[in-house]
Amino acid sequence: MSKNTQHNVHGVMAEFKGPREIMQAAEHFRDAGYKDFEVYTPFPVHGMDRAMGLKPSKLAWFVLCGGATGLAFGLTLQTWVATSAYKLTISGKPFFSYQAFVPVCFELMVLFSAFTAVFGMLIMNGLPRWYHSVFKHSTFHKASSHGFFLCIEARDKKFDQQASIDLLQGLGATNIEVVED
Amino acid sequence: MKVTNTRLTGFLATTFPKIAFGIGILGAAFLAFFFKQDPHHFYFAYLTVFMIFLTLTLGSLFFVLIQHLVRAGWSIGFKRIAETLMSNSGLMALLFIPIIFGIPHLYHWSNAAEVAKDPLLNSKHAFLNIPFFKVRALFYFGIWITLSRVFYKKSTEQDSSGDPENTVKMQKYSTFGILLFALSITFACIDWVMSLTPHWYSTMIGVYFFAGSVVVALSTISCIAQILRSQGYLKEVLTVEHFHEIGKLLYGFNVFWAYIAFSQYFLIWYANIPEEIAFYLEHFKGTWNTVAIFLVLGHFVGPFILFMSRHAKRNLPFHFAITLWFIFMQMVDMYWFVMPNFNINGFHIGGVELAALSCIGGLYLGTFFTRLSKQALYPIQDPRISESIHLENL
Repeated sequence: MSKNTQHNVHGVMAEFKGPREIMQAAEHFRDAGYKDFEVYTPFPVHGMDRAMGLKPSKLAWFVLCGGATGLAFGLTLQTWVATSAYKLTISGKPFFSYQAFVPVCFELMVLFSAFTAVFGMLIMNGLPRWYHSVFKHSTFHKASSHGFFLCIEARDKKFDQQASIDLLQGLGATNIEVVED
Repeated sequence: MKVTNTRLTGFLATTFPKIAFGIGILGAAFLAFFFKQDPHHFYFAYLTVFMIFLTLTLGSLFFVLIQHLVRAGWSIGFKRIAETLMSNSGLMALLFIPIIFGIPHLYHWSNAAEVAKDPLLNSKHAFLNIPFFKVRALFYFGIWITLSRVFYKKSTEQDSSGDPENTVKMQKYSTFGILLFALSITFACIDWVMSLTPHWYSTMIGVYFFAGSVVVALSTISCIAQILRSQGYLKEVLTVEHFHEIGKLLYGFNVFWAYIAFSQYFLIWYANIPEEIAFYLEHFKGTWNTVAIFLVLGHFVGPFILFMSRHAKRNLPFHFAITLWFIFMQMVDMYWFVMPNFNINGFHIGGVELAALSCIGGLYLGTFFTRLSKQALYPIQDPRISESIHLENL
């Protein structure tokens, strides 16, 4: 399989007419057993996750861990400060006044969750980056207004350049191009 | 679209309302017996149960208003259930009559001798007096009954006429409707619950009751929708996507409830002013403290963790269990708010509470299912029905 070993090919990319056509194409590739293909649309297409066979993102679990860490951190910090490091009597209340800790714990939980969500999202998406191969496609500038693109990536185990081109043609795609890294 | 059966028939339409009315009348008979034994206890138990069902009715009214206000499409399948629930505001007005007779038992401020020797009550007398209290109650029920009648009528009219103009009108009315609703629910809670402890004041109480009422209303709407679905109704308009949506709203409002409950407690705890803190001292006394902790864990912490996931909201049997749990927690909440004024040393569930629950609950559900069977189970000609059917969560 000499084509698979060509390091400089990113994948085969094609344009589709609209959301319905690209959805059908995605379902077709999913059913054919492709895993590494990407869809670029100007707006979110409902049901695309299912059509592409994408699993729910793992990010939610990281956010949960981030939130739990923030909560534990806030509680520990305040307990340590209030009961041993800087013992201050405030309006006659006990040193360990957990009621007063709630807002800070809450805020830190939100902060840690938000940071995990934003930075985790960036890391999992491989962002920020200067450049992506799909921009080499001649009509890709339409993707932000009215173009629907599908790219079968070369890293997919089933990838075969000619077979992909034939498949895309069969699905009624236009502007089929091989994009290089 | 394949319409299966838009009318409620069979057991839920004919036999069930009769059973419910029967239980209601039986409960009323028991209540009369308990009233003879201890009228004081009777009035507090009655007020507790009255508040449970009032918050449910008002929460449903809010649901209908807000859906029109934001021109929501997803909720069409739930709308008739909410509209029927809010139409019980007339029944709630009738059920309010015993409370009028109970004013001397329930409300400390109605006693002229007490007011005379208490400067704080004396200064509040301009607001807290029996004639003005009655006028205000009339005013609140006037608002709720008018709003629910107008919206119910416009919506059911549309079932046969299919006139989209009705939707436009309802959207217009919902604007000032929501303002009237917000003011009336706030003042009603101040009058009927906060004035049980007339020295106490809290700027949060209106929002607290509002948040609780939306939680119980969303739970009940979702719960009834699932019961109807299990009988084969509403299948074409309500899918797992719609339950996911109402679950999100329910989850959000429950967090909002907790936020308001904590804010109220936190500010009072922090300032520690005698008039304010007295409320919490009374409500944390003896086993009432256990009820308060149960409320924190059961109303907030448990559902917060268990109902967070998308999978939990989309798992319909689990979703159903959670809605039942929320309805139960609203009962606990109202019980904790009202009853420490009577059972000072700790909670105690007696026959009178159960009799009040079966009386008001029976009449409420009987009226609800009778009214529900008279119209289609969802607004069949709503202009947004197709939008609603194609709902999908991203």
